Amino acid sequence: MKLKHSLFTRRQFLNGLFGGWLTALLASFLYPIIKFIFPPTREPDQVILPFPDFKDMGPNSVRVFSWGAKPGLLKKNEDGTLRAFVGVCTHLDCNVTYLPGQRKFFCACHDGWYDENGRNIGGPPPKPLRQLIIVIEGEDLIIKREGVE
Amino acid sequence: MSIKDTKTWIQEWLDERSGLSSITKFLREKKIPQHKHSIWYYTGSAILLFFTIQVITGFVLVFYYSPTLEEANQSVGRIMTEVPFGWIIRSVHSWSASFMIAFVFVHLLSIWITKSYRRPREATWMSGVILLVFTLAFGFTGYLLPWDDLSLAATKVGTDIPRSIPVVGIWGTRFLRGGEDITGDTLTRFFGFHVSILPVLLFILLAVHIYLVQKHGMSLPLTARRKNERFVELPFWPNFVYREMVVWLILVGVLFSVAVFLPPSLEKAADLMAPAPEGIKPEWYFLFLFQTLKVFPAKILFITGDTIAILLILLAVIFLFFLPLIDNRPAERKGKIITFIAYVFIMYAVVMTVWSLI
Repeated sequence: MKLKHSLFTRRQFLNGLFGGWLTALLASFLYPIIKFIFPPTREPDQVILPFPDFKDMGPNSVRVFSWGAKPGLLKKNEDGTLRAFVGVCTHLDCNVTYLPGQRKFFCACHDGWYDENGRNIGGPPPKPLRQLIIVIEGEDLIIKREGVE
Repeated sequence: MSIKDTKTWIQEWLDERSGLSSITKFLREKKIPQHKHSIWYYTGSAILLFFTIQVITGFVLVFYYSPTLEEANQSVGRIMTEVPFGWIIRSVHSWSASFMIAFVFVHLLSIWITKSYRRPREATWMSGVILLVFTLAFGFTGYLLPWDDLSLAATKVGTDIPRSIPVVGIWGTRFLRGGEDITGDTLTRFFGFHVSILPVLLFILLAVHIYLVQKHGMSLPLTARRKNERFVELPFWPNFVYREMVVWLILVGVLFSVAVFLPPSLEKAADLMAPAPEGIKPEWYFLFLFQTLKVFPAKILFITGDTIAILLILLAVIFLFFLPLIDNRPAERKGKIITFIAYVFIMYAVVMTVWSLI
């Protein structure tokens, strides 16, 4: 039955109401499930390492630390300065290794190469290795994500 | 009541309540045409054979395997060294997976080249392509479970692949990994996929696929359809089933032989902080994709190479799925271009695989 000037019948209205209600109910069930499937991201803002442990590093060498669930690479350059990288390939996320003899970072998964400053120079990697910021405060070696105060 | 009477009584009792006799009647009357391409009819049941072996060996492997960061590698080691016959059960599970996937490829290509996907079998083909994806997903998730260096590196790459697809891809990576990175959660999640989610999905789709095959009957090859060739038809039961059993016996013999002499290795437990081991390779059925990702340059124009590679692979899968709608000509027409594409695909896979090994 349709009232005069009405755009839809009473049945259509009720069907729409019922359908909308069912959709809303379903969404309220799905929402927590979808949230449950995707856990919050866990990249740390910073990690604090005991600086004395890294003082004995020779020049042109790399030490691994935990950057969340990824390896972080702390590199001592020839001139004694330090640099920190996230040690995963920018191609498809494999862990890279430093080859001191060749002064290059290398990813074994698809033959990716980076120079000693982390610039991508060969193979499929599209971007340089991600750099982290190093701050030394007394005995603490603080390694931060870029943009973290 | 004699034994024979009891048997009849049980059959009648069951039939009255279940209607099973309609199925047995169907199977008794089912006919399998015999012609020079009939050999491909055996590939389907060979896949089922290996799948059954996977289910049985998988059931028992679960009794000892523990899907946690601390214990996964150790528990597989225990299966291999301490549990009676554990080594052969794992070896059969690993090899049977390879055999199953090999036969899935042969099954698919034989149907592609004989154009058996044409009307009215489009839905059968499409359910088959989804089954192929599920089968590969089984292989991919199972590969991580021993949790050694190789399996970790392969999973890192595999789960990072969706990320290359713009916008939506990142959610795929997060869904597969349970977060941004691979952690113990990823291992537990993959175990869940491998032993509960994928089996349920596969069983449902397999039922649909087998139902559709029965509904339409065996497809005839082009030549037979064109020339109205006369050929012999074998009764499915018992003649064809006996022939299949001979094939199964040979396959089981080969499977057990390689499983005994070439058991899969187990490297030391994966270390999330260690660099990827040199010379890493995925399972053989992913080698051509692996090589594709390796040879694509870092940048093509302004887009990253792996994004293009992955979009191309995705496009190929979509093409495969919609093949019956793309080639929707009547069943008796030839399809030279479609056959040609199949051979190009085979050549590409073979060349890339060989290239990845040298």
